[in-house]
Amino acid sequence: MAFAYDKHNTYHRMLRQALITVVSLIAFIEAWWVISIVANSSTIPDPATTFDALADLIRNGDGMTGDSLGTYVSASMGTFLKGFALALLVAVPLGLVLGRFSLLNEFTEPVIEVLRPIAPIAWAPIFMISIGYDLGPMLVVFVGIFFPLLTNVVFGVKKIDMSLVDAARTLGASDTQVFVKVLVPSTIPYIMNGTKIGLGIGWMCIVAAELYATPLGGIGFYLSEQATAGYWPGAFAAIIVIAFLGIITTSLAEYIHKAVSKRMGMDV
Amino acid sequence: MTEEEGKIAAGAKPHPGDRIRADRTDLLYKDIPEGGMLMRIEGLHVVYQTDEKVTVAVEDFSLDVKKGELVSIVGPSGCGKTTILRCIAGLLQPTSGRIMMGDRVCTAPGSDRGMVFQDFALFPWRTVRQNVEFGMEVAGVPKEEREKRALRYVEAVGLGRFADSRIHELSGGMKQRVGIARAMVMHPAVILMDEPFGALDAQTRNIMQEQLTRIIMHSTRTVIFITHSVDEALYLSDRVVILSKRPSRIHKVIDVPWPRPRDRASPEFTALRKRILAYLETENVMSERARNVSGRRPATRAAHAPSSPPL
Repeated sequence: MAFAYDKHNTYHRMLRQALITVVSLIAFIEAWWVISIVANSSTIPDPATTFDALADLIRNGDGMTGDSLGTYVSASMGTFLKGFALALLVAVPLGLVLGRFSLLNEFTEPVIEVLRPIAPIAWAPIFMISIGYDLGPMLVVFVGIFFPLLTNVVFGVKKIDMSLVDAARTLGASDTQVFVKVLVPSTIPYIMNGTKIGLGIGWMCIVAAELYATPLGGIGFYLSEQATAGYWPGAFAAIIVIAFLGIITTSLAEYIHKAVSKRMGMDV
Repeated sequence: MTEEEGKIAAGAKPHPGDRIRADRTDLLYKDIPEGGMLMRIEGLHVVYQTDEKVTVAVEDFSLDVKKGELVSIVGPSGCGKTTILRCIAGLLQPTSGRIMMGDRVCTAPGSDRGMVFQDFALFPWRTVRQNVEFGMEVAGVPKEEREKRALRYVEAVGLGRFADSRIHELSGGMKQRVGIARAMVMHPAVILMDEPFGALDAQTRNIMQEQLTRIIMHSTRTVIFITHSVDEALYLSDRVVILSKRPSRIHKVIDVPWPRPRDRASPEFTALRKRILAYLETENVMSERARNVSGRRPATRAAHAPSSPPL
């Protein structure tokens, strides 16, 4: 064979990765197909029917409500981004302060450790009823992103290279200047790492929360609507859309994390 | 023993007002003539306390540093050299004793005592030039002036081409040259160097020693230099302070009168090196024996009486 694989060639490695990905996806779709034939149940539509439903969703939108796919996706994304922004706004400053002042950290740790293991989606019914169907999903996303982000920021502050703090102090920096010019920049890769993990969890939360929040729409709403109506190809099409958007969000976060870590000259 | 424990064992908390934050602190002492006393270290004691035991790291260390001289502190590994330097820098509060600059007592870190670290301690998210600018930035030097000055120092240490490089792109020797430029650009009254070439390979180390010699010959800088290499100390210093094993006590102070640059192969150089190495050898053996026989530390030989008893 004329083509010899060279593992030190970047182009070859990328080609190899792409081939494996394609083969893996084809194998997955084949398996799905086989299962749908063997199960012979309307709840497991075969891939062809599902992709037809997906094409229909993209072209004509939701036949039941008349909303387009774009409306649903932007509703979901809007909720997601609001929850994400709120989590950044609260978790980052709080994490910096908690990491810096150990007494405060010790004081809040028991509460955080009690709240952290609760699945974010468990808050959904409470938020929906008490706060409302409009803000509820956003708050669920907020809870999902908040805790991984907070723990990463606190960890980042504690992991700071003390010799950098010493260097800054011998150059005349005040405590405030050490905080702003040394602590914050050296924590940024950890903030990005927390964001990356948080985005994955947040994306799971938004879809789950939308199953409750009927008036707002969103891709999760479409999924529950289609399943309730018993139109399974539509439900599966929604799942494909969710997976696709999830991949985009996490790879974007991954890319930003890498770029920032490189810019800051640190690996986390 | 960790830093934290050291801080717990330390004495009074520094007063924030004591912090010197200024550029060109050498000018504060311009009235002191070359060779006049600039810094006085009096009866330094450092005791680390943990739950299990009390460790005396430094015992009655006293030293006068003259303006414009390079003093080396030499001693075996783990003898508390770095602890002494951290006290001088203000990063560690001694259990007792004090550091005087002129007639001012130093209790907090400040830009009058610039420091060069063994592990470089450079800010990885800043470029070479931005690292050198840091001290001037916190001192409030206008942007234009500090950029110009930083670049001049970056060029002076031979890194002009790398001014906008990031730290991880540099070799060890280059990193330490950034560290030296970052300390020097501030014109501190004293420069503290904590085994600055300890992390470098032998060849780079020699080159760095030669470059440092050239800097010393062209400017009047007061330097306190920590090393465990007798060779390095003799090559660079005007005076060599030899410490005994932990707890650090001054064993002997040797004047090195030779002009620079020095020849390491000269007979007087090798003879003196041999003598110092022999000193270190016997001192270690003697202190071991003294401990074994009497069960207590041998009496201190430092010139100053301890200002307060060790814990």
